[in-house]
Amino acid sequence: MIKVKNLTKVFNGLTAVKDVSFETRAGEIFGLLGPNGAGKTTTIRVIATVLQPTSGTAEVAGFDIIKQPEDVRRNIGVLTAEIGLYDRFTARENMRYFGHLYRMEGEALEKRIEYLIEALDMGRFADRRAGQFSTGMKQKVAIARSIIHDPKVIIFDEPTAGLDVLASQTVIAFMRKAREQGNLVVLSTHDMAHAQKLCDRVAIMHRSRLVALDTQERLLQQTNTRNLEDAFLQIVGEDAAKLVEHEREEQHLAGIKKKRRFGL
Amino acid sequence: MKESLIVFAKEIKDSLRDRRTLVTAVLMPIFLMPVIMIGTFKMQEVQMKKSEAQIPKIAFNIQADAPMLVNFLKNDKKYVVVADQTSDSAKAMMEKGDLNVYLEVAPTFEKMVSQGNPAEVKVYHKSSITDSVTAFQKVTIALQEFNQRTAVARLAQKNVPPAILTAILPTPVDFATAQERGGYFIGFLLPMFIVLFAIVGGMYIAIDVSAGEKERKTLEALLLTPASRFTIVTGKFLAVAATASTTIILSLFSLYAAFKFFPPNFGTGGEFIISLTPKAISIMLGVGVIMAIMFSGLLLSVAIFAKSYKEAQNYITPFYLLAILPVSIVSSIPGFKPTLPFFMIPGVNGVFVVKEVLLSQYDTTHILVTLGSLLVFAVIAIFIATKIYSREGVLFRD
Ligand SMILES: Nc1ncnc2c1ncn2[C@@H]1O[C@H](COP(=O)(O)OP(=O)(O)OP(=O)(O)O)[C@@H](O)[C@H]1O
Ligand SMILES: [Mg+2]
Repeated sequence: MIKVKNLTKVFNGLTAVKDVSFETRAGEIFGLLGPNGAGKTTTIRVIATVLQPTSGTAEVAGFDIIKQPEDVRRNIGVLTAEIGLYDRFTARENMRYFGHLYRMEGEALEKRIEYLIEALDMGRFADRRAGQFSTGMKQKVAIARSIIHDPKVIIFDEPTAGLDVLASQTVIAFMRKAREQGNLVVLSTHDMAHAQKLCDRVAIMHRSRLVALDTQERLLQQTNTRNLEDAFLQIVGEDAAKLVEHEREEQHLAGIKKKRRFGL
Repeated sequence: MKESLIVFAKEIKDSLRDRRTLVTAVLMPIFLMPVIMIGTFKMQEVQMKKSEAQIPKIAFNIQADAPMLVNFLKNDKKYVVVADQTSDSAKAMMEKGDLNVYLEVAPTFEKMVSQGNPAEVKVYHKSSITDSVTAFQKVTIALQEFNQRTAVARLAQKNVPPAILTAILPTPVDFATAQERGGYFIGFLLPMFIVLFAIVGGMYIAIDVSAGEKERKTLEALLLTPASRFTIVTGKFLAVAATASTTIILSLFSLYAAFKFFPPNFGTGGEFIISLTPKAISIMLGVGVIMAIMFSGLLLSVAIFAKSYKEAQNYITPFYLLAILPVSIVSSIPGFKPTLPFFMIPGVNGVFVVKEVLLSQYDTTHILVTLGSLLVFAVIAIFIATKIYSREGVLFRD
């Protein structure tokens, strides 16, 4: 459902995503893991067409992100890392506005809103203004808003950040249900326990690049570890060690050059 | 385009729930405009009455040296002659307002006058003190009257008819109608206010829909919907323009109503009448609304560079000064005759057209050039705003 092909994104000289390629299918939960600043959010933003790729491209549900950005957006639901709501609107009004922007209206939209209020357990505050909401309440409304149009491709960027155990469980159950319904769920998270419980396949990003891409079992086998966290640490650690080594080599080479220059 | 209307409707609903927009865009124009306009007239009225009622306080250096003149002034109940002063003490008293005019005569004054020679009297006043200036004008008139009476008396002694002194009789005839005089009067203030409201009316909503959306972190979610950036910015622009136009419309109607129901009446016997004709109002509305639309596009372009409300206000303040400064300069130069190029400068042209309309001078060329120029600038402003909104750097500057 998502095909990423040699995707690169550069921000004024800073390469945030470098030559990333992967494919995902319907009916799976795909983990996009990586330490802070690895480039996960940027990758998601490019796939979701809010940022333009510097090179490479991606396809979502058969639509190209460069040539058919509006079709891509119609078929994708993205929970952004930074959630914000319209404070002077109620939870329901927030959802309704986005529904309208997805060209939904009337009975169908109200039913969908009612369903999401039910599914994400928002009944107590659905008609209160969002300005007074706690992080957890806001997060739930943001999730509902991102999937108001019932998309086939769902991307959640840190959906459980700031949520307590109970609220997290609601969101996790929701992701499982989406998978059962044959949707694709891409999950970007720092919570390895959640990722291990949920993800069928995982991609690990580090320093803008993809450093691992496989099913959980195979990753554990390859790294000879028993849980995803250890596998993650090992893969990222090896990559970081390589970085240190590269830097040392470069410094060494630079030093030789300097010595030569001063020696002569 | 349907999405533009969805965005428009949302922004209007949202800002109707925002007290700041409600105050600046709705309450302020309805109440502030008439209060300031009528208040200014009332103040001028009071000022005029006060200066009419003022009794100048005059001091001489030595009253004994000019008994005829002193008596003439004392007999006229419109003056008070206080005790003699030296020029230094008189200056000090004038500063404090205890004295308005100081007359200095030479010891030979009385003799010269009775012998029929011109005698000098120095009239000290301070032109930086309003009371001293009005007193000076009144005393000058009194001195001229003294001159005339003395001359008439001298001619009578020689059996010459006094009419011989009058060669011509200038008789001023002012054919400005009371309405035109009123229009001239409010022409100093009203046009400024229209420009001001065209900017201020849309200010808060412009910040709210651009920088506010970034501050609340809702912008990315909005950009994730199928609505194109062009339709989103169009919807937002429509909301800002509609709000700013509403402000202009409300302020003009409230002013119209205020002048209709509480006509300020001052001068003696209706010398000034402020009545805005429907024709004048509709031209002002046209100019005001298009100006509001143009400023909306500019405000939106400026505010999107900011990440927060505060920052946006910092960006808008210089913009606001830049727009309002030339306007306040040209509108404070009395009798400034604008040439055609002035009607191409946005903001400034509005001031001049409104001024002309208030004087019932309907110059079709000026009106059309103004409307045309404002429209062109409005289109440019909208174009700039849409260009800025399609640049990802502006939207995602963390
Ligand atoms: N709009 C932008 N302009 C410039 N640089 C950016 C921009 N957005 C992200 N970056 C940089 O790109 C790199 C990748 O950032 P990104 O947000 O994609 O990482 P991430 O994997 O999501 O990290 P985290 O786990 O902290 O959310 C970072 O170094 C970040 O500073
Ligand atoms: Mg991130």
